[in-house]
Amino acid sequence: MFQPQSSYSFYSPAKVLSGNKALENLPVELDGMNAIKPLILTTPGLSARGMEKVMAAAFADSNLTIGVFAGVPAQPDLKLVRELYGLYRDNGYDAIIALGGGPVLDIAKALNIAVSGRPEDLESLADRNPLTKKLRPLAAILNLDLSGCEMTRYVTIGSLSLISPALIPDLMVIDPRTVMAEERKTVASTALMSLTQAVEACLHPARNPLTDAYAYGSARFIMENILDVLKNPSDRKGRMALANAAYFAQTSFDNLLPGMVYELGMAMSRSCHTHPGLIMGLLLPHFLLLEMKKETATRKDLYLFIGGPEAFAGTMPPASFRKAVDRIVEILLELQSLVTDFPRSIRDVGIKREDLESLVEPRSAAGVRGEYDPQDIRNIMEKAWETRF
Amino acid sequence: MNNYKEIQSGSKPFKRAYVALMLWFVGRAIEAAARVDGAVQAEFDGLPPEFTFSLGVMPQGPTMIVGKDAQGLVKYRGWDPEGQKIDLKMKVKNLEGAILMFTFQESTAVATARNRLIVDGEVPAACAIVRVLDIVEVYLLPKLIAKLAVKRYPDWSFGEKVLNRIRIYAGAIIGL
Amino acid sequence: MDLPGYYEYYCGVKIIAGHDALERIPGVLRDLHASRPMIVTDKGVAAAGLVDIVMGAVKDQLSIGAVADDVPPDSDLRVVNRLAALYREQGCDALIAVGGGSVMDTAKGINIVVSEKADDLMKFSGAGALKRPLKPLVAVPTTAGTGSEVTLVAVVKDHERHLKMAFVSYFLLPDASILDSRMTLSLPAAITAATGMDALTHAVEAYYGLSKNPLSDATALAAIRLISRNLVKVTRHPSDREARLAMANAAALAGMAFSNSMVGMVHTLGHATGSVCGVPHGVCMAILLPYGLEYNRHKREAIMGELFFPMGGSDVFAGTPKEQRTDRVIAYVRQMNQDLHDASGGRHARFFKEVLDREGKPAVTRERLPDIARTALGDGSIFYNPEELDYDDFLMVLEAAWEGVALDYGRIRK
Repeated sequence: MFQPQSSYSFYSPAKVLSGNKALENLPVELDGMNAIKPLILTTPGLSARGMEKVMAAAFADSNLTIGVFAGVPAQPDLKLVRELYGLYRDNGYDAIIALGGGPVLDIAKALNIAVSGRPEDLESLADRNPLTKKLRPLAAILNLDLSGCEMTRYVTIGSLSLISPALIPDLMVIDPRTVMAEERKTVASTALMSLTQAVEACLHPARNPLTDAYAYGSARFIMENILDVLKNPSDRKGRMALANAAYFAQTSFDNLLPGMVYELGMAMSRSCHTHPGLIMGLLLPHFLLLEMKKETATRKDLYLFIGGPEAFAGTMPPASFRKAVDRIVEILLELQSLVTDFPRSIRDVGIKREDLESLVEPRSAAGVRGEYDPQDIRNIMEKAWETRF
Repeated sequence: MNNYKEIQSGSKPFKRAYVALMLWFVGRAIEAAARVDGAVQAEFDGLPPEFTFSLGVMPQGPTMIVGKDAQGLVKYRGWDPEGQKIDLKMKVKNLEGAILMFTFQESTAVATARNRLIVDGEVPAACAIVRVLDIVEVYLLPKLIAKLAVKRYPDWSFGEKVLNRIRIYAGAIIGL
Repeated sequence: MDLPGYYEYYCGVKIIAGHDALERIPGVLRDLHASRPMIVTDKGVAAAGLVDIVMGAVKDQLSIGAVADDVPPDSDLRVVNRLAALYREQGCDALIAVGGGSVMDTAKGINIVVSEKADDLMKFSGAGALKRPLKPLVAVPTTAGTGSEVTLVAVVKDHERHLKMAFVSYFLLPDASILDSRMTLSLPAAITAATGMDALTHAVEAYYGLSKNPLSDATALAAIRLISRNLVKVTRHPSDREARLAMANAAALAGMAFSNSMVGMVHTLGHATGSVCGVPHGVCMAILLPYGLEYNRHKREAIMGELFFPMGGSDVFAGTPKEQRTDRVIAYVRQMNQDLHDASGGRHARFFKEVLDREGKPAVTRERLPDIARTALGDGSIFYNPEELDYDDFLMVLEAAWEGVALDYGRIRK
């Protein structure tokens, strides 16, 4: 039986506030970080949905002044960082609150580097000087339209990519008022991405008790809530659970290296403009089936994460891994009836068979068994291309 | 710059007024309860001489202050902490948290468990005050709601409860 | 998985674990821009050779500014002040705490004094007094354990004024905790058992307490699973390195769980018993844990039943009907105490009557139980307990825990 290594390190510096009236705690949390004037960054879309009013209400009675910049585009660049740097400095802001998904967190993290030193730091950091100093306070408010890296140490802005634990937001807020708006397809995509991150974390060779604990919480919340939320989009508690699940999955993911399905999903989505989560969802069962056939499976209790203690305990060991895969496929099948235009195969999202080979190139991240076996990647992609769920 | 604006935090006058009223009422009810209920007086007797505590909302009130006088009698001391020596400050982190507490959507126990309160002072004293608040809530609220507000609804006789309840309401509202 | 209407969770400590985790300390300090640490420890730890192991692992890359090994078993304000002065004199810029709860508390206290240049530690007591990060602190626990390597609390006693100061702040959390199997290899059986049960209590109380949340649940379950498989084993076979590492992990996981979910009546009564009769914390936890389950059962039956999965394992759990699971959990904990009693040559006490002080005399007499019950009334942990306890309830539980008999369910007032 494959044993994970005994040595590990784990780091998760964000404080989590999740639940009813969580946003109202922002003033006192910022005060604890010696900040009194936050600049809120968000997108025009979220602003149009009334998020500015929600934030204003959250800060009412706090005696504080807040700034709101609601113009974060889908692909922010360094030019915007410089503009916002000027705004932050000239108006005496001392903290950033990122309200939104991937692009908002990217610009927020980049801006935080700039304001904690100088904007030039951003370019010099591209030389891979590790960023170790403490940055200014950064809070993230999560919704259900996520890119998978919001609460991680990764930031990509323009052509610049940086990795540093110092970039992880200090605070993460999940409030019912910010998770209700996303439509079904988006919710499904985010959930499938989180599920992929969680499952790959629990199969990762470098996994540890902490990444397991977070992956467990994530998988349970997703499996228990995804279908209910899609059947009843006003299920507040379910949506909150999915947002929590996304955060837990990202934390495990952040403490390990990305897995094969994640990387393939990201690569494929770049060429076909589909949310990577959907593609990952379609690849995942094939990856797991391949995993199952290997002689030394990396872990036998995957069904504990996917099915929960009761179901896992009640299943005889040889059947257990297969049951986990079956449960995931069941979810994918249900999603087809609940989500319009839900793809049944990677073919449906526009991937061409001829393009598959170019995706097999040696992957930089460690696979489940060290380097990915190119043949494994080919097998999975072929199966994913041929099969329609 | 486009898409940018500064927002001054507004106020929530109705919610503030409601919480201020509740704090005033509860403060005076504690004074009255100490007179009629031995358990409440006993909790205060266990605290240092002239012990005074405040319960308020961050960042700027409203607040209620209650303390023992030189004879050990429990008195409501108003809403202004200025000039008062306060041994224990219990602060609700924000107005919405106070609304949750004073509309009894979250009991004192739940509010504490959810970190809605900051306690500035000795922990044993805070324990005593929370027990006092629990007792007072049982008196002030109908059984159905009080049962949600406290962990264990006390086993008082019906008559005792009704009589004391009347006396506490009277004490709180008209200062009898 | 349960999602409460509201919760908060924080554990910003970097966890570094392994059979040679100590060697990572210089890198940790380098990232924190520090290079001249003061080691804080106690004579027991030093005598066991553990400080030498730590120094051996780091001395090539760090210059140790000072080694202070005279921390007493109970954190003391005078010691904190003296060691803070030593820190300053030697030009140190970081702290490494090697030891158990008292060493951790002392180190955290020293950190407040040197970081805030405080002359009166009292000014920083309570919550919310600290406003900015302190000097780098690396925690190396030598028991498994108190979990204080991942908690935001420090307790320092002022013996002159007979005060116990409690400090609560996120800034007190160590920057990193090093879980190295070498640090607990020589732990004697009785202490292994007591500190292991301390960890189990943290996890169990965090799981059934009122502040329960998904992350404290996940870490608690992981801790319980590790303890179930390793505590008795390592008490019998002290040099089992994998089991030692597993217990170190379990203690840190349990620490993360209770640090965010708080604890309940087992700690309330445990603190009081420790305070009145001087019984070590872990010993109190072990004895009182079954009573915490029994007393709170009517409010948390289903939740407690879930604990049987990590305790009993998959097959046994599956074979046990839901209604019986809480009974099995309580029985499991009592059996664990019995097994540890046997594995430690009778030194691990199963009930208070059995606890002996250093001179071999009973540490807890029946006459002192009322004092303990009275003291318990002033402990804040009771807020997080699912059911109410007044003086009479405390006394009832203490009587049963003294005698070593099960709680009479009929006497629990609901």
